[in-house]
Amino acid sequence: MGFREINSKMVEATVVPGQRLFSQRGAMLAYKGEVSFTPNTAGGQGGIMSMIGRRVANEDTPLMTVEGSGTVLFGHGGHHIQVINLSGDTLCVEADRLLAFEGTLQQGTMFLGSQGGVMGMVRGQISGQGLFTTTLKGHGAVAVMAHGGVFEIPITPQRPVHVDPQAYVAHHGDVRNKLSTALGWRDMVGRGSGEAFQLELSGSGAVYVQASEEKL
Amino acid sequence: MFRLQGSKVLAVDMTGDAVKAKNGSMVAYDGQMAFKKMSGGGEGLRGMVTRRLTGEQMTLMEVKGHGTCWFADRASEINLVSLQGDKLYVESSNLLATDGGLRTGTSFTGMRGASQGNGLFTTTVEGHGQAAIMSDGPAVVLRVSAQYPLTVDPGAYVAHQGNLRQSFQSGVTFRTLMGEGGGEAFQIRFEGDGLVYVQPSERNTIAGDV
Repeated sequence: MGFREINSKMVEATVVPGQRLFSQRGAMLAYKGEVSFTPNTAGGQGGIMSMIGRRVANEDTPLMTVEGSGTVLFGHGGHHIQVINLSGDTLCVEADRLLAFEGTLQQGTMFLGSQGGVMGMVRGQISGQGLFTTTLKGHGAVAVMAHGGVFEIPITPQRPVHVDPQAYVAHHGDVRNKLSTALGWRDMVGRGSGEAFQLELSGSGAVYVQASEEKL
Repeated sequence: MFRLQGSKVLAVDMTGDAVKAKNGSMVAYDGQMAFKKMSGGGEGLRGMVTRRLTGEQMTLMEVKGHGTCWFADRASEINLVSLQGDKLYVESSNLLATDGGLRTGTSFTGMRGASQGNGLFTTTVEGHGQAAIMSDGPAVVLRVSAQYPLTVDPGAYVAHQGNLRQSFQSGVTFRTLMGEGGGEAFQIRFEGDGLVYVQPSERNTIAGDV
């Protein structure tokens, strides 16, 4: 299964009976075959408790379940789409960047404060991620949206990567992130270089960065 | 060393040297980097006065360190330009990054600047090294030689280099005044020998309205 990229802004997914897909509501462009789209009031998986969790966390982007047999085309807002294949590791991504993902993946919500305490919460605020972020875990494919093209930077223990919070899209693997500041006296007097805050990602995995500093 | 990663991201490998880049255009880096704000229009007091007068407020930063740094700005297409002692004229809003060794300055453009909707001054880049310029859509490079002068729409002009004379052309006629213009009332004409970068999109200019 998985997603096939038609062009940089459209993906095609094959749906077979018994295997579900989740996608952002309204992201379907066209389909062939017998496919049904059911709005997902729970906003994902995991029953009523995780639904409340997502509501509270403001990570409850309306999702729909795609079932049946056929092929479906997805795209949204002319944004570039990057397909990420997961093999057992965890992907952290903002809920509104999620276009579609396979039902084999476990969806969850992560509290940013759990990684780095108060600084984690500050980081979420600055990078516009909010206090929570969505995690996807398991084996399967995810389609993620970004403004402009996306490129992948590998992270190895020897080489931590710093990313502009506005250009950050997603990351996967065993990665710790922290907010690093390069605030000097120049920023105080309004002569900063515009790069005062950076996300420092260390560990092993990969980070996806978009060619733009605009949020979706 | 400048290289393109895709068409919208500029990757620069650095080994202790410096590059100048548009403020806030860094998207990611690995290794060790330091960012420092610079000011355009030349150094010192003279540069400061120039900036105030010209309004060509290039906010550049100096990036220095070891590792790879990635730059991008609002998903614009990026073009690499290599300079061998010649001068590149570019709008400051279209300049993404230059080698640390290149000199940047300001020059007067006259009516052409006003017709482009960019003010009367433009940025110059001079020396030996590479520069990265941005365009809305992939830019085409047009060669101008003595036999073949080139005329471009002010809104689609991005940059030019080489030994070029530019003049301002107006096609305003009686019909234009009557509101029957073709939308191409002003053009820039390049003569001499050099290269002109043109983007497949037009900025909003006065010329576009008449």
